[in-house]
Amino acid sequence: MFEGGLHPSFGVDPLSAFFLAVLATIAIPVLIYMRGYLRGTHHGAAVAALTLLFIGALVLVVTARDILTFLAGWELMTLIPAGIILVNCADRPTRRTAFIYLAITHVGGVGVWVTLLQLTFIGPPSGAIATGVFVAAALIGFGTKAGLMPFHSWLPRAHPSAPSPVSALMSGVMIKVALYGLIRVILASGINPVLWGEALLALGVLSAIGGVVYALFQRELKQLLAFHSIENIGIIAMGLGSWLLLEGQGQRFWGGVAFIAAMLHVLNHAVFKGLLFMGAGAIERATQAHDLDRVGGLLRRMPWTGGTFLIGSMAIAGLPPLNGFVSEWLTFQSLIHGAGLHGIYGVSCALAAAGLAATAALAVLCFVKVCGLVLLGAPRTDRARDAKEVAISMRIGMALLAGLCVLLGVAPGLWLSTLQGTGGLPAVWVFILITGLTALLAWVRGARTAAPAPAWTCGQTVQPSFDWTSSGFTKALRLSWQWLIRPQNEVAVVRSHAIVRSVTYRGDVPHLFDTALYSPLIKRASVWTGQIRRLQSGSLRTYSIYLSALVVFALALLRLGLL
Amino acid sequence: MTLLLLSAGTVLAPLLPGTIQTLKARMQGRRGPSPLQPYRELRRLWRKSRVAPAEASMVYRVAPPLVAACAVCAILVLPTGVDGPLGHDVLVLVGLLALARFAITLTSWDTGSGFALMGAARDLTIAVSVEVLLVLCLVLAALPAGSTDLNAMTAAASGTSIWFTPAHWCGLAGFALVAIAETGRQPIDNPDTHLELTMIHEGPLLEYAGRDLAYVQWAAAARHWIVLALTATLFLPHPADPLGSAAAIAVWMGAACLGLAFIETMVAKVRLLRVPVLLGAGSAIALIGLLSRAFA
Repeated sequence: MFEGGLHPSFGVDPLSAFFLAVLATIAIPVLIYMRGYLRGTHHGAAVAALTLLFIGALVLVVTARDILTFLAGWELMTLIPAGIILVNCADRPTRRTAFIYLAITHVGGVGVWVTLLQLTFIGPPSGAIATGVFVAAALIGFGTKAGLMPFHSWLPRAHPSAPSPVSALMSGVMIKVALYGLIRVILASGINPVLWGEALLALGVLSAIGGVVYALFQRELKQLLAFHSIENIGIIAMGLGSWLLLEGQGQRFWGGVAFIAAMLHVLNHAVFKGLLFMGAGAIERATQAHDLDRVGGLLRRMPWTGGTFLIGSMAIAGLPPLNGFVSEWLTFQSLIHGAGLHGIYGVSCALAAAGLAATAALAVLCFVKVCGLVLLGAPRTDRARDAKEVAISMRIGMALLAGLCVLLGVAPGLWLSTLQGTGGLPAVWVFILITGLTALLAWVRGARTAAPAPAWTCGQTVQPSFDWTSSGFTKALRLSWQWLIRPQNEVAVVRSHAIVRSVTYRGDVPHLFDTALYSPLIKRASVWTGQIRRLQSGSLRTYSIYLSALVVFALALLRLGLL
Repeated sequence: MTLLLLSAGTVLAPLLPGTIQTLKARMQGRRGPSPLQPYRELRRLWRKSRVAPAEASMVYRVAPPLVAACAVCAILVLPTGVDGPLGHDVLVLVGLLALARFAITLTSWDTGSGFALMGAARDLTIAVSVEVLLVLCLVLAALPAGSTDLNAMTAAASGTSIWFTPAHWCGLAGFALVAIAETGRQPIDNPDTHLELTMIHEGPLLEYAGRDLAYVQWAAAARHWIVLALTATLFLPHPADPLGSAAAIAVWMGAACLGLAFIETMVAKVRLLRVPVLLGAGSAIALIGLLSRAFA
C-alpha cells in the first residue's frame, strides 16, 4: 500500500482525488466565512494561519504515498486542531478538553501505527489471531479518529471548543480522512471483506443510533452538532459495511452502489455539517448564547443565517429534495438489496436498514427541536430580540454551502432516476414538483393575509414562562426509551412546618459510554500507572542502573540468539 | 393512467375518513354523519379566513401548502403499472411523508402553543418506532420483487403463491400496525378527540384556520388514501391483471375502512408510553418474517 523508504512520495488516485475535492468544497466557503468570523477577535491571525496549516496537513494525509509522510500528516492533523483550540481560548476547562482530545486520539492512534507498519513492512496478516488483532487495531485506530462509537469520546468535547469554522473542517473533513485511511487499509489487508463488513455494519448502527440519541439531549448547539457527526459517520460506516458484505458475497453491482452511497454521504455530510457549524458560529456571534433554550425567533431577525440553517437542518434530517436524502436513499437501497443475501448477512443488512430508519426519524425529531428553539417563535432573551444579521462574508460562506445542499440534492437525480432494482429517484422532478406545487397551492390560497391572533392557551394570556424547552420536547422519547438511556432526575423539596419553601429539579441524561465504560477504565488505568510511576524515582543513579540492566539484558538476548 | 390515479386519489381521499366515521357511528348504534361530511367541512373551511399567531414566521405560512404538495407527490408515487414523472420508489414515498411531518411539526414551534408542541413531540416520538416497523415491512415486501419499485412489488405480491411464504404473513401483520399509526387512528391516536391534552396528529393543527386548515385536513385524508393503497397493493391478495387488481384494491380499501372502524369501536387508545411497545411487537413479528426468509 505505502512505500516503506525514507523518501517522501506523493500521488493522487481517484480515491484521494475525491477526498481532496471534498476538502476543497468545504475549505473555500470556510475560509470566506472566516474573514468575517475572526474580525475583532483576539489571536485572529494565529487561528487563521493554523487553519491553513490544518488544511495543508489534511492534503498531506490524502496525497501521501509513503508511510512516513502519511504518519507525519496524520499526527499533524491531530495536533494542529489542539493548537487552534488552545490559541482560541486557554482557560482551564478548554486546556482539559485539549488534553483529553490529544490523549484519546493518541492512544487510539497506536492502532493506526500498528496496522500501517504491519502492512508496509511485514505484509497482510495471516492466521486467525493475527487477523483478529489486525482488524481490531485498524477499527480502533481509524475509528477513534473518525469518531465511531464506542471510540468517540473525544469528539463531543473537542468540536464545541474549537472556533466554528475549524469545527466545520474537523467535522466535515478530518473525521472523513480517517475513513479514507481505513478504506486504504481494508483494500490492502487481503482479509475476507465479509469480516470487515459485519464489523463496520455493527459499529455503524451503534454510532448512528447512539450519536443521534445523545444529540437529542444536548443543551448546547455545537455539542449537539458534534454528536450528529458521530451519527453521520455511522451512516457512512453502514454504507461501507454493506459495500464489503455485498462485494464479499459476489454482488458486484450493489457493492459498487453501496460504496457510492458511502462516498456521497461523505461529501453530503461535509457540506451540510459545515453549513450547520458555520450557522452555529453566526448564531453565537449574534446572540452570545450557548444554551439552546435561550435563543428563539432568529429566522425573522437573521433571515440569511436562519434560512441557510433551516436548509442545512432539512438536509441533515434526510428530507427530500435536499442532499442528505439522496445519500440516505442510496444507503437504504444498498442495505435492502443486502438483505437479500442468504443467512446472517441478509439479516444483518435488514437490521441495519431498520437502524437507519430509526436514525432518520430521530434526526427529524432532533432538528425540528433545534430549528424550533433557535429560529422560530418569539425570542426568549433580550439579546436574541436585538440580534442583527452577521457580516457579509459569513453570509456568503453559508449561502455557498446551502446552495450546494440543494444542488447535490437535485443533480444526482440525472443518474439515479433509472437505477435498476429501484423505483428510481428522479430528484429533479421531485424538486420541481414539491416547490412548484407548494407555490401553486400558496397562490390558490390567495394573497389575503391571515388575521393575527394569540396562540391558544386555554384562555390565559401567553407568557414567556409557557415557553417549551428542549428537554420538554424530548420528554416523550426520554420516557419511552428510559430502559435504554437511563435518565436521572432529582427533585429536592425544602419544607418548613409542612409548608413547601422551595422545589429544585435537576434532570440529566448521562453519557453512558463515559459513565459506564470509560470512567472505570480510566480509574483502573490510573491505578496501574501509579504503580509504574514508582520506577521513576528522579534519581540519576537509579536511571543508570536501568540503563546498564537494559544493556546486559540485550547482550544476554544476543548471546542466546534471540535477537 | 397516472393522471387518472392522481385525480382519483386527490378527489376520493376525503371519502375514506368519512366512511370510517359513518361505519363507526353505525357500529356504535348512532346514525352518524354521511361519508361526504369531510367534503362539506373542506367547503366550509375554504370560505373562512386564515389566522396567524403574532410571532409566526414564513414557516407557519408555507407549511400547509407544502404538506398538501407532499401528499399530492406521494399519491403520484403510488403504483399505477405505468411510469410516472416521480418514478414509483417506495423510499421516495417514505421521504415525502417525512418531509410533511417535519413541516407540520415545525409550525408548532412557530406558534409556541404548548398543546401544539405536545402533539408534535408525541407525533415525532411515535414516528421513530413506526419508521423502524415500516422499513422492516418494506424490506419484506421488496425482497420477493428484488426491487423497491412499487410496480414490481405489487406484481410480486399478486397471485396466490406468495401466501405460502410465512414472511408475507408477518409483513401483513406488521404493516397493519403501520397503517393504524400513520392514519392516526385508535389505539395509537384518536382523530375525534377535542381534548387538547390527548392530541397527537391534531395537536399541531390547533392554530390553523380557513384555507390553511383545509389543506392540512385534506392532507390527513390523503394520508389515509396513501397508506391504505399501499397496504392493499403490497400485502393483500389481488390478481395479476391490471383491471382485476384495481377492482380488488378498491374492495380492500373499503374493507380496510371497515376494519379501522371496527378496531376503533372495540379498542381504547393505549397509553402513550405503551405505543413503542406495541409497535416494537410489530417489529418483532416482521423480524421473525425476515429470519424465516433468510434461513429458508
